[in-house]
Amino acid sequence: MEGYLIAIFISILIYLLLAGGLALQYGFTGLVNFGHVGFFAIGSYTSALLALKGVPIPISLAAATALAALSAYPLGMIALRLGGDYLAIVTLGFSEAVRMMLQTEEWLTRGMHGLPGIPRLFAGWVEPQKTDLLILILLVVVCVGVFFLIHHIIKSPFGRVIEAIRDNEVAVRALGKNPAQFKTRSLMLGAGIAGLAGGLQAHYLTFISPEQYVPLITFYIWIALVLGGVGSLRGVVMGTVLLVGFLEGSRFIRDVIGGVSEVQMASLRIWVIGVALICVILYRPQGLFGSSPKRSR
Amino acid sequence: MTQPMNFSRRGFLVSGTALAALGAFSGSAFSQSEKVFRLGALNSITGIGGPYGPYMLEAIKIAVAEVNDAGGAAGRKFQLFAEDDQTKPEAAVLAVKKLIEINKVEAVVGIWPSSVGLATMPITNEANLITMNTCGAPEMLTENKKGLAWMFQASNAIFGSAFAEVARQRGFKRPAVMAFNNSTFVGQANHFKESWEAKGGKVSAFVIYEPNQSSYRTELSRVLATKPDVISLSAYRPDATIILKEWCQSGQDCKFIMPGWTANEDLVKALGKEATEGIISISNVAASQSPAYKRFAAAFKKVANREPDIFAAQSYDMVITLALAIEATGASADVLAINGKIPSITSGNGQAVTSFTEGRDALRNGKPVNYNGASSRLDFGKHGETVPDFGVFDIQDGNLVLKETIPGHTPA
Amino acid sequence: MDWLSVANAAINGIVIGMLLALPALAITLVFGIARFPNAATGDYMTLGAYTTVASQAFLGGSVVTSVFGAMSVTALVSLFFYFWVFRALAERSQVARLIASIGVAFAVRSTITFFAGQDQHVVDVPLVRAWNFGGIRLLPTDLYILTTALTALVIVFCIMHLTPTGRRMRAIADNAELAAASGIRSKRVMIFLWSLTGAFCGLGGALLGIKAVVVPELGWELLMPMFAGVILGGIGSPVGAVLGIVTFSIAQEVASLFAGPPYKIVFAFVILLCVLLLRPQGMFGRPMAAR
Repeated sequence: MEGYLIAIFISILIYLLLAGGLALQYGFTGLVNFGHVGFFAIGSYTSALLALKGVPIPISLAAATALAALSAYPLGMIALRLGGDYLAIVTLGFSEAVRMMLQTEEWLTRGMHGLPGIPRLFAGWVEPQKTDLLILILLVVVCVGVFFLIHHIIKSPFGRVIEAIRDNEVAVRALGKNPAQFKTRSLMLGAGIAGLAGGLQAHYLTFISPEQYVPLITFYIWIALVLGGVGSLRGVVMGTVLLVGFLEGSRFIRDVIGGVSEVQMASLRIWVIGVALICVILYRPQGLFGSSPKRSR
Repeated sequence: MTQPMNFSRRGFLVSGTALAALGAFSGSAFSQSEKVFRLGALNSITGIGGPYGPYMLEAIKIAVAEVNDAGGAAGRKFQLFAEDDQTKPEAAVLAVKKLIEINKVEAVVGIWPSSVGLATMPITNEANLITMNTCGAPEMLTENKKGLAWMFQASNAIFGSAFAEVARQRGFKRPAVMAFNNSTFVGQANHFKESWEAKGGKVSAFVIYEPNQSSYRTELSRVLATKPDVISLSAYRPDATIILKEWCQSGQDCKFIMPGWTANEDLVKALGKEATEGIISISNVAASQSPAYKRFAAAFKKVANREPDIFAAQSYDMVITLALAIEATGASADVLAINGKIPSITSGNGQAVTSFTEGRDALRNGKPVNYNGASSRLDFGKHGETVPDFGVFDIQDGNLVLKETIPGHTPA
Repeated sequence: MDWLSVANAAINGIVIGMLLALPALAITLVFGIARFPNAATGDYMTLGAYTTVASQAFLGGSVVTSVFGAMSVTALVSLFFYFWVFRALAERSQVARLIASIGVAFAVRSTITFFAGQDQHVVDVPLVRAWNFGGIRLLPTDLYILTTALTALVIVFCIMHLTPTGRRMRAIADNAELAAASGIRSKRVMIFLWSLTGAFCGLGGALLGIKAVVVPELGWELLMPMFAGVILGGIGSPVGAVLGIVTFSIAQEVASLFAGPPYKIVFAFVILLCVLLLRPQGMFGRPMAAR
């Protein structure tokens, strides 16, 4: 029982890191990043490959964060030139391109065979049953740290500029600030967080393959943001908990109600998510847990 | 925005309590006497495994019903808990944890893709669970560190070299290789190439294609341009349907060698008899001839309205094998003891049996048994792998006709 | 690589491109008029393909009537989502509509799989051999698909240029504010837009189902190449969408001869980037101010 709860919390926290990064990019800067899973994948593979080569996990995680952040730099340059919807399509393409590279460059990533036997975090520190708990604790610490950082950034002068960019880019430019630079930094920061999440997941799962990094993950994070409310960290947290909670909780629904086949249950799960998404956008634009309807754009 | 972490903590508590409540509920709803064996089915209901997973689950249900109707294995009835792994490793990890922690299963059967097999193995090993899968990745064997995993499907290596063997025996000179880009099929394709070239041949074209396309004509033309006399096509049904359709329309003459789980009655139904005529379909041999298969197929048809594919047959065998192992160890045996019995009830000189009741009766009379399943003879190697004999079928007028049997062997 | 393979790859690209031109046109019109990239486009196609299969299986009937049936069903579904979702979101941000369209996509696809399952289906059409002109292969089925797609496109272009509703539609696509200021009422335009979107996606999906197989991810998987084609042609430009997606498909097929099939998607992405960086208005779009 605890083991399963720990697994769910680990899953929630990994999504939460991803959502935190995206919240920074979209919620506070207005960058429509639909390729978040690409940074997640870069982080996972960087950390896993380095660790498999014998690099200590803390260093490989740092490298994962750094490389994911760096890979966002060129996208940031593009983001300067493009409006929201274009950036959505470009970033989506970016994440698909990353996945294809992971599939194809077998010399590096073993392609579709995936990477088994990735060193596990805290392996050998305690008895195997306890490592999950340690990973959970680490993730909580990382999440608190990251959310504190994001919170701090938003409250900083830099944060006020990026929020101002979201609301009125022209005005920011008129004040002599260069929105481009701020956008790029925000994008890189969010990407770095996603990369860290990827690295942590790789050392938790111990097996990764390119099929894990499909755009659906990006959409799930977006859904979590929209459900919870984009504009506040509280909304981000609640949205993520709600989404992962529902995805997992729906497993029990079938145990209880019965009469629905597994195939239909799987369809039903996606259906509920789709319809919930529509309804929240229609009837509660600030998100279920958001309180600030100040965004009226 | 104020104190976001406070809220997150409360959120965790809320959802945690909710889950705990659900867990307790499902636990109490299924509380039972000690005479059950809690069996987990982890199938790929959605995702790429969608065409196979639901039928594997049906097969598992059929086998469970068969065992339970016969009074259970060593008196223990199976209680089945099914989960969808979405053909995704990270979803599978959660699903398997749920099976272990909430449903307290003692074995997990029906794992289809190697990615799920590899991702869940550390967890099931840690919990000392028997797992039975249809994974074909060679890494499954090396990762099977506790000997608790049983591969009911021949590995890619064995399949690939069997394909090459068949191509040689049939006298083909210029084979080409086309494969779906995933771990299983790329492995198969590589082993075909290796094993063909090891005996001095050359492969005329080697094309790995991306799935989910609406046309494979360009990839196919690339292969057909080299004028092969046979194409080893490692594909699933949707892409195979498109490729064969396009090949048939191209009018170029050549043969196909395909895995049995793709080249079967369903493919004929999708494409018609003309496009499938002469396809060489290779699968584990036991199919169609063995009494176990016939009985299973009849039961399966009643439920699913179609012939079972090889994965369904393997899933059925998983449960029966497990049941016989439990029967052989006795009602109070633990999982490790049951696991230890699996090799002895599937191979050796015991009485050959083809059903649970037959095996159970023999075991109760103190005789050793050798279960020959619906999917193969099921003789496991030392890493838990099956090395089945392969049946070589030709599709003639829409029917699979068994031509010959070739022994499978692990390539050097 | 000999020129024959290149020619055959190009022909294949043309067929796929023309087929995808129907949903691509829908994407570009929605983008121009309702102002968001509609992520449900792919799943409207899937719906069209499944409706074709279903009407063939349950109602009998020829392929042609099934395809018409599919077009009407998808048009109705598209209208339903307009009235329920997109109309209410007209004044909201582009991203809100985009996210909502993802929700629509999920809802449509899961409704299909709830009833039809995950397994593949096929549209029942006889297999015909290709005509072989000295190595260049032409499929009769492909010709039917080409003709159908062309006819549909011609009809739409006629409507857009010759009828009052069509002209209004183009006016709004060109400049929504100006159109509103000059008193063009958009309700009829919107109804027309969404029925057209639905019908075209349905037709595209049905044709794709005839050409390939019908699976739940049929349309969703095509979103990326379709968006790339539309951007290449210039977002909001109907002619651009058609020429963009055809050019794109040809390029993709020919390139996969040289670069290896898995790089098809990477290639799509590179084209996308180049266009956006070098010529954001695409081949036919007019320069847009940064939004």
